[in-house]
Amino acid sequence: MAQSGKGRLNYRCPSCFMRDLDIDMFYDKEKKEYYCIRCAFTGSEEDVLRLNETARFRYKNMLDRITDFD
Amino acid sequence: MDKFILNIVHRPEMVPEYAEKVTGQGKEEDISRKGLLTESLDIFKLQQQIAHENGFKTTIQMTYSSLFNEEAVALAKEHHEKYGDEIALSFLGLPCKEFREKYKTRDFCIWMFSMEDKKSIVDDVFGKFYECFGFYPLSTGSYYMDADLIRYIKEKYPAVKCAVATCWEEGPKAYHTCNNSWYTLFDGGPWNPWIPSRQNTHAPAANEEEDSGIVAIPHLSRDLLACFDGNGSNFGTHPQNVLRGMIYKDGKYPYLYNLIDQYRSLKKYNRGYAYNMMFVGPGWMNKMGRWEAPYELLVQSYRDGMAYYAELRDRGELDDMTMGEFADFYRSCHTYRQPECALWKDILYGSQKQYFWYADPYLRTCVDMNQGGALIDLRPYVAKLEWPVGIGTPHVQDASYPFLIQSNYRAGFFTHYAGEGTVKSCKFSYNGEEVDLCLCRTKARFSEEGNTRVLTLDPVEIEFSGLTVRLQTVFEFEEGSSRIKIRRKVLNMSDPTRKISFDEYMTACYGTTEYPEDMTEVRLSVCGDDEKELRYAYRDRCISSENGKSAKALIPAIHTMASVTTKMKNAQSYAREGYAFSPMFTLGLRGTLGDGEEAVSWLNLEKAD
Repeated sequence: MAQSGKGRLNYRCPSCFMRDLDIDMFYDKEKKEYYCIRCAFTGSEEDVLRLNETARFRYKNMLDRITDFD
Repeated sequence: MDKFILNIVHRPEMVPEYAEKVTGQGKEEDISRKGLLTESLDIFKLQQQIAHENGFKTTIQMTYSSLFNEEAVALAKEHHEKYGDEIALSFLGLPCKEFREKYKTRDFCIWMFSMEDKKSIVDDVFGKFYECFGFYPLSTGSYYMDADLIRYIKEKYPAVKCAVATCWEEGPKAYHTCNNSWYTLFDGGPWNPWIPSRQNTHAPAANEEEDSGIVAIPHLSRDLLACFDGNGSNFGTHPQNVLRGMIYKDGKYPYLYNLIDQYRSLKKYNRGYAYNMMFVGPGWMNKMGRWEAPYELLVQSYRDGMAYYAELRDRGELDDMTMGEFADFYRSCHTYRQPECALWKDILYGSQKQYFWYADPYLRTCVDMNQGGALIDLRPYVAKLEWPVGIGTPHVQDASYPFLIQSNYRAGFFTHYAGEGTVKSCKFSYNGEEVDLCLCRTKARFSEEGNTRVLTLDPVEIEFSGLTVRLQTVFEFEEGSSRIKIRRKVLNMSDPTRKISFDEYMTACYGTTEYPEDMTEVRLSVCGDDEKELRYAYRDRCISSENGKSAKALIPAIHTMASVTTKMKNAQSYAREGYAFSPMFTLGLRGTLGDGEEAVSWLNLEKAD
């Protein structure tokens, strides 16, 4: 099996991101999956994108334009 | 005054952080790779172009490596002439072929070198700068500039008057976020510009004797709530930080504008003055994309951020200055003892949490209204702790200013199963029931009375079995006093004939990280009818005194004396030692209150030699 490399756009591990850890994932071309070398996450690009959306759950005001700071 | 000041800083970093490691993945390291140098300079040019298109002047912080690049030097000269940009000098971007050949190390953070190397590097970099431009810079900076370094620069190159000197709350949190590989350990500084003391960069100077001679600015303007708990590099006036935090959707990032606007709003608490700085290194806009964001979005976010600043300027709501100009402006309108205040609200999580941050030459603290006005962070700047950092010192990497209270690192109100965490709050009890104000969520408003900043919390209601009590807390911060006055008033009781007990307490320790320090040098004492003292031995003992006036803790490791004092009659002062599983100490004042009565106490900080 050939070595893994960085995938497109330096996807981070969504599972680690949710615990405030930024770790770039590596891409296994044969299995067509991204994987994290710290935790046990593996997933396709679609999985990563979907989970990145989930990771935003805590940002309830993410799309609000706030004008009152009192 | 009614001013919102912006500093825009760019650096031609010929070998940007991230770029070699990230975009060069799979290649042997070569920091003189032509493609890398060309791309880096192109990004710098683009950043400059975006700023100039928006009518801004910038501070160009030349890196050491860029001083060997004729095109970068020529560009800086041209932009200085054409746009009025200030040509300054950064200690970021040291790595280059010339640096590595001379210093024979891959170290790149100026504050981590030995003092001997710091001096040599400073002289090298300033010398090379002079060779290129024929003058010495007014401004400099790095992610952190330790006090010894600033003193040396100021003595040798007195023209320097401004420096990027810290990244606010970039400590263990940033380290963890970067998989324990990014050693920017310098929590505990001010979030907005200040005049650093000669003894410790984080601690503002209290007078001319302590003045280091420069005005310090933080690297970025950071979210004062999100960065206290989360990764500092996700929540700042750095558009790509916001992308890194995934705080955007479909190319929209209103949070960036909310953050800028909340900083603008801080003029309410600082006599009409507010501040922002944007400083994005080229590595964050590299063509490979970063943090899942394509190059196009990285650049667009920079354009959008700059355009918003321009919009504010065009409305007459923003003034852009170079760093040198800002230093003069800051000194013209600030006294040494003038505090920096920020009543900050959550603009991201929808929690409605509100913090009050306060910093002056004697202390920095954070009051959490979501915990009934508990102090969740406390740094004794009054100690002006001499804390050399770098190779050859006891703190090679750890440049944080030590805390007495840090409720996230050393637990606050909530602990698991046993023990206590660091927090200052007040407990009330009646008929065997006890309620801590930490569980009474509220809000606060800010006011000024002469040279005292007043934080008045909305009243909270405590429901005991058979008795309801309405209470209000007021904090008073008097300029130059090195203490906080705390008033807890019973506004009314459902049965005015009753009395409730209070316990005004502070649980503290010392440290810079999540992990405990040796407490055996700590000495606790109380004063009242009796004077008692206790040397910390992890034995869970308590000393107390009736008609108590004070409870004190001497913490020799950080040259600090902390105390709680009162002038109330019939109070009891106490000091409680911790134990191995709870390596804290608690200082407190106990007493009773009836309807309409008030408990007044002070939290005092002193330097202890």
